[in-house]
Amino acid sequence: MSPNRRVMIVPCSGIGKTFGTVSREAAYTVVEDLRPDAAELVALSLLVLGDEEARAAVAEHPTVTIDGCRLACATKMVQESGLPVARSFTVLDAFRKHRDLKPEGISSLNLEGQKLARVLAEEVAEAVDEVVRGET
Amino acid sequence: MPILPKKKVGIVACSGEEMPEGTVSRVAALKVLEELRPNDTVTICLPLFLAGGEGDRAFARFYPTVAVDGCEKRCAARATEMYSGKPAASIVVTDVVSGNGLGPIQGSQRLNEAGMQAADLVAQEVARLVDGLLGRTGRAVEEAVVEEPAEEAPEDEEAAISLCSCGSGIPVQKVSVNGRVVTLIALPAIFEQFYQSGKRPGDGTTRELLEIARIYNPIPPEEEAAYAEALAREYEKYCRKQL
Repeated sequence: MSPNRRVMIVPCSGIGKTFGTVSREAAYTVVEDLRPDAAELVALSLLVLGDEEARAAVAEHPTVTIDGCRLACATKMVQESGLPVARSFTVLDAFRKHRDLKPEGISSLNLEGQKLARVLAEEVAEAVDEVVRGET
Repeated sequence: MPILPKKKVGIVACSGEEMPEGTVSRVAALKVLEELRPNDTVTICLPLFLAGGEGDRAFARFYPTVAVDGCEKRCAARATEMYSGKPAASIVVTDVVSGNGLGPIQGSQRLNEAGMQAADLVAQEVARLVDGLLGRTGRAVEEAVVEEPAEEAPEDEEAAISLCSCGSGIPVQKVSVNGRVVTLIALPAIFEQFYQSGKRPGDGTTRELLEIARIYNPIPPEEEAAYAEALAREYEKYCRKQL
C-alpha cells in the first residue's frame, strides 16, 4: 500500500433514519479503526457548501461514498460538485446481503445495526485497499 | 372540518462527521427530537436538503427551523438559508462549549464526558428555542414575513387564494395589510374552520383569528391592529360568499 495515497470517505450524514446512522458508524470504523492511515472523513455539507479544503481533499484524492439509502445523497452530491467517486456503497445493499442484521435505533444502534456497520466498514476498507493499490 | 397542520419546528443539525462538535450537534438534536420535544419537532435531513429533497425544503419554508451547528462554518444554518429560508434560530456548539467553560470535546464516534455535557446543554437550549418559536414563552416568532410589496391585493378572492409555492400543498391567501400585500399561510383553512364552527364576523372572532393566524405567520406586534383589520375584512368577505 502506498503510504502517500489517502482515500476520502464521504458518508451520508442524515440524522433522522437508522440507515444514516449505520453509514456514519461504518465510516468512523473505517477511518478510526480499520484504515486510520489510509482513510479520512470528509463532511458532505462542507463539500456541497463549497468549503475549499473539503473540495481540494476530494479533488486530489480518490473518494469512497457510503450512502444510507437509495437516494444516494452522498454519491450524487460529490458527483454534482464535479468531483469523481471511486467507489460507492449503500447500507441498503449491505443489509440485503445480511438480512439477519436488521438495524434499529437512531441515536444508538442495536447490536445487529452495529454488526451491519462493521460488516459494511470491512467492505469499505477492502475497497480502500484496492483504490490505494490503484485497482479502481 | 379542515385539519390545520400542527406547527412544528424543524431541527437542522450540522453533519460535521470529521469533528467532535459535529457529533455534539447530532446527539443534541436527537435528544430534542426523541426525548425533550418529540411532539413539537422534526428533523430535516441535511444531506437530502442539500441534494434537493423537495419535501424537506418545503417543510423548512413553512415551518420555523433551528440550525444546530458544530462550528463557526455554520453549514446547517447556511444551507437552510440558501435552499429554503433563514433559520428562525441558530446555535453553535463551540459557543456553548466556551460559554460554559467545558473541557476539550473529544471523540467523533463516541463523545467524551465533556462532549456529552455539551450535548445536554445544547439540547436544553434548542428545546428552549423550540418553546419560544411555538409561542410557549411569549417570544415572538422571528421568521421572515412573506411579502410582495409591489403587488396589489387581488379584488377577486379566489384569485388571491392558492397553494403555497413551496409545493407543500398548504393553502395561502394574499391580503392587503397597511397598503401592502402579505401572503398568509393557512388562512383559507382557518376561515373554513371558523365558518364551520359557527363563528361569525365580530370583534371576538377577529381576536381569535389573529391568534390562530399568528401560529402560522409571523405578525409583528406593532402591526397587530393592521393585521386584525385585514383579517376582519377578509373574513367578512369569506362569510358573505358562503351565503
